[in-house]
Amino acid sequence: MELIYEGIKKAFILIFTGDKEILGILLLTIRVSGIAVIISMLLGIPLGFVVGLNHFRGKRIITAFINTGMGLPPVAAGLFIALLFWRSGPFGFMGLMYTPTAMIIAQVVIASPIIAGITLAAVGQINPKFKLQAVSLGAGRIQMSWLIFKEAKLPALSAIMAGFGGIISEVGAVMIVGGNIKGSTRVLTTAAVQMVRMGEFASAIALVIILLILVFAINLILTLIQQKEKEKWQIKYWK
Amino acid sequence: MADKILEIRNLKKHFSTGFLLNVDYLYTYENDIFTLIGSNGSGKSTLIYLINLLLSADSGSIVFDGEEILDKKINQQKIREKMAVVFQEPMLFNTSVYNNLLLGLKLRKIRFEEYKENLDFLIEKLKLKNLLPRSPKTLSGGEQQKVCLARALLLNPKILLLDEPLANIDQETREEFRGVFFEILKQKGTTTFYITHDRNEAMIISDFVGVIENGILQQIGPREEVFRRPVNERVAKFVGIETLISGIVGNVQNGVVKVNVGDNISIYAVGEGINGKKVTVSIRPEDVIIIGNSEETTSLSTLNIFKGKIKEIKNVGLFKKLDIDCGFSLAAYITDASINRLGLRIDSEIFAAVKASAIHIF
Repeated sequence: MELIYEGIKKAFILIFTGDKEILGILLLTIRVSGIAVIISMLLGIPLGFVVGLNHFRGKRIITAFINTGMGLPPVAAGLFIALLFWRSGPFGFMGLMYTPTAMIIAQVVIASPIIAGITLAAVGQINPKFKLQAVSLGAGRIQMSWLIFKEAKLPALSAIMAGFGGIISEVGAVMIVGGNIKGSTRVLTTAAVQMVRMGEFASAIALVIILLILVFAINLILTLIQQKEKEKWQIKYWK
Repeated sequence: MADKILEIRNLKKHFSTGFLLNVDYLYTYENDIFTLIGSNGSGKSTLIYLINLLLSADSGSIVFDGEEILDKKINQQKIREKMAVVFQEPMLFNTSVYNNLLLGLKLRKIRFEEYKENLDFLIEKLKLKNLLPRSPKTLSGGEQQKVCLARALLLNPKILLLDEPLANIDQETREEFRGVFFEILKQKGTTTFYITHDRNEAMIISDFVGVIENGILQQIGPREEVFRRPVNERVAKFVGIETLISGIVGNVQNGVVKVNVGDNISIYAVGEGINGKKVTVSIRPEDVIIIGNSEETTSLSTLNIFKGKIKEIKNVGLFKKLDIDCGFSLAAYITDASINRLGLRIDSEIFAAVKASAIHIF
């Protein structure tokens, strides 16, 4: 118990005293996972949407790939990216190994299928007659897609939350491609692992608490957006 | 008579399930309400999808508003913009009722000001004012469908395609709403292509009626003609004729056909016939008059008076239906008041009279 108490106390001290190292780790975590989730969103939502909305040959195979990707172990993603960016690998010349960029790429590989998969499922749940109704009302292809997208907007937010949750808490991939270099690629999860290895349990607990607060804050923001969307029913007059 | 706004010829659409829609000739007059009736899975909705170009046909022709719309070079969006569709399930988008109402205008890039009067008219007639700021999700099924119908009518379509829009609404709301809605259609002179499996609804609202079964159009014509003079047994059954008797034409004289339907039983019908030809006699249940005793029959002018025994009395909405054994099975509608006045019950012996002009043979 004392250990946990010490950990919590240390967390608050670290947070409120503005410990430079912790602040640096926190900012890097936000930067890496934030950029990764934005890129994953830009890739995953359109992919899930296009696959979910259209009927084409090979749709089942693509869906199976996306679903497999949703369960991709972070370690496997990390290893795959490491092989590509290793000095002797095909993209080794770019010198991205052990950089935040490599960590972002690994996290994109993890989060994109999660976001695409949930979006695909959400679009699949929409009554196909909405598409027909939109077309019969006069919508062109883009307008129709936009209308259907708006129908799937709330589940898409859940997809972003799931994607973000999947990468902010993962440790395997960022450890492999980032290397947990102090001041350069150390993020909250890898730092926590490092502290546990060193027997610094109080510090590890403090880092985990900071991580939890971060995850909670971001999910709270997204949930509020989602709830606000549900309640927004004021008349928008013709423009 | 007005011009034909829609003409369908030799239209075929084959599905992987094996179902084939095959419509030889179907047409709709401008400003009319055309109702296509048929049982579930008979191809009614498919036809609407084909007319609205939401499905592509295998072959055939659809001429709408003077244009062959199955032509591959045609601008499909422009054609659809002359139509409006309402589906069986209310299809309202994730925005306010007001925005949903205006969606069609927005998508068709129509200036709202030009339709303001129409919008106000529909909002008032369909009592939509209080619903405007609400989410469609907070409305009842009937209210949602009302919004869908208003959205379609707001577009002033050249043809309004309605795919059983009242099917999921409770009976009471449905009857009330149907009255208002079809009054609006008549007032605006909107050409309507209406699909239903409810023959009573078709009887009430239609100018023209088509009957489709198993993907094949069985009959098309003015409402009275289809309901009173079906071309075959399938149509007869679908339009509510239960008394269908097989017989042989025995005699044709002065426009009256005598059909022998059993041992010493003949039925007389106004029409044409060929001696010795096998025919089916159809009698609508509401055309049968029940007489309590034989004395009253002597004063009747009708040729068809049958003696029979009541086998069954059934409730059918406002009426009771009698199943009478006259040597053939005859169905007749009668009110509760008449049942009480005549003291009718099962096994009562009665007389049934039907005018020859009310009997149809095919």
